[in-house]
Amino acid sequence: MIVAEDVAKTYRTTSGDAIKALARISLAIGDGDFVCVVGPSGCGKSTFLRLIAGLDQASAGWLTLAGSPVRGPSREVGVIFQDATLLPWLTILENALLPLRVGWRQAERDGKVRELLAKTGLGGFEDKYPYELSGGMQQRAAICRALARDPKVLLMDEPFGALDALTRERMNVELQDIWQATRKTILLITHSIAESVFLGDRVVVMSPRPGRVLGDFPIALPRPRRFDTTPGDPEYLRLTREIRSLLDRGTGETP
Amino acid sequence: MSAGGSDLLPVKPETDLALDTGFGRNAGKILLTLGGIVVLIGLWQAAVLWLDVPLYILPPPGRVLMALWAGLDVPLTSKVGFYLPLASTILNAVIGFLIGVVLGIACGSLMAEFRPIETVLMPYAFAFQVLPKVAIAPLIVIWCGFGDGSKITMAALLAFFPMMVNTFTGLRGTERERLDLMRVLSASRLETYRIVKLPSAAPYIFAGLDMAMVYALLGTIVAEFLGAQQGIGVTIIVAQTATNVSTVFACLILLGVVGIVFHLAIRVFERRTIHWANRKKD
Repeated sequence: MIVAEDVAKTYRTTSGDAIKALARISLAIGDGDFVCVVGPSGCGKSTFLRLIAGLDQASAGWLTLAGSPVRGPSREVGVIFQDATLLPWLTILENALLPLRVGWRQAERDGKVRELLAKTGLGGFEDKYPYELSGGMQQRAAICRALARDPKVLLMDEPFGALDALTRERMNVELQDIWQATRKTILLITHSIAESVFLGDRVVVMSPRPGRVLGDFPIALPRPRRFDTTPGDPEYLRLTREIRSLLDRGTGETP
Repeated sequence: MSAGGSDLLPVKPETDLALDTGFGRNAGKILLTLGGIVVLIGLWQAAVLWLDVPLYILPPPGRVLMALWAGLDVPLTSKVGFYLPLASTILNAVIGFLIGVVLGIACGSLMAEFRPIETVLMPYAFAFQVLPKVAIAPLIVIWCGFGDGSKITMAALLAFFPMMVNTFTGLRGTERERLDLMRVLSASRLETYRIVKLPSAAPYIFAGLDMAMVYALLGTIVAEFLGAQQGIGVTIIVAQTATNVSTVFACLILLGVVGIVFHLAIRVFERRTIHWANRKKD
């Protein structure tokens, strides 16, 4: 679904300095895969996501989405940002329907979005404004918005980073449920090793800037994973330990 | 007078207001404010009595009140009362305000949306902004005459700049993530402007409205000073010529009341329109 070959990205700051954010990333993500990218802050993992989302252009390399090169935002991609980025002047329903109202309009999917809201526990909150909802509910609404066009790919940039630990765990379980029900291709960026191992079929470990792939771990833990059992699994413990030591070696510090 | 000379910095949207918070919580505050007014008026009266200030310099508060009453205790259409001049001033100020606001928002939007327009217009905007615009008034009177035209033009001119600068700043300050969101959704430029940028800029635009209203009133009065036939500015000049200082004070009080009413009206409009602003997340 997503293939990156030697993708590099160099930013130029306003003072003219070149900052190498990504150094030759090669990665192939299959249809329906749940891939987590974990790395220290500033390792270019968000840059990588922005390239796939079509928000930025790669400086070098090839990047394809469903077989065609990424030239800009695609309707097959839903993006979830770190902050829910709901528009405060729109109700929850209006926010979730936004993708159907701009760009490619698809009013015929309205019913689906209402269903999604109900399924994610936002039924009855459609006419509330974002500031009336908790952080977790806001992020759920953002997920519904990202799913509104029924994209094949979900890109998530530290989606639960701003939430408290308990809400975060619950959101992880819900996201897993959504993924199991829809089988979207998900690329989730996180700086939490625990989150990446809990959620991913694969965990890609990135080095500090300029970012490159340090390791690629298949996660064969049984699904559905649950917070009362999975973290006690010896395989889970082995993986988190291995990823941590790899990150330690790569950075000299624990993220 | 800061009107003409204010710099290009936009006014920050207010986050806290003394005027429209809950009454109960602020009863003490209000009492204190009223007490301050009583003390001030008392001092004024005392100063006039003890220092033996002549009437044509500073009349006692009682005289001012009498002048105010004299101007109000007349039929609405009376030539000597305050109603006709006040209505004329308010009408011209409001028309000028509306013109200045519409043009200011339009110009600020064009400058924020199109870099070339910004590049071309910014030097003029800056030059105009640092110019004390009140000094243009004589020229405006030459072009537009002594009638309502020059008053409306002055009001519009003075209202225009805070609106333009605040609209521009507000639009340019739109959060990057919100713009990214719209790009991901492949929204058109107009959709992004309408759905994201304009609401994002709304608090700035309202702060601009607040200032534009004051400036519009100022512009109207200045144009009236320069030889109009009617308006509260004319009433002030006529009273000044007759050294009727009490009436001048009465006019100032009226203008103050008008200013407060306009300010409150804009605040109410703002709270209804941008109900989401100034709310914390949790």
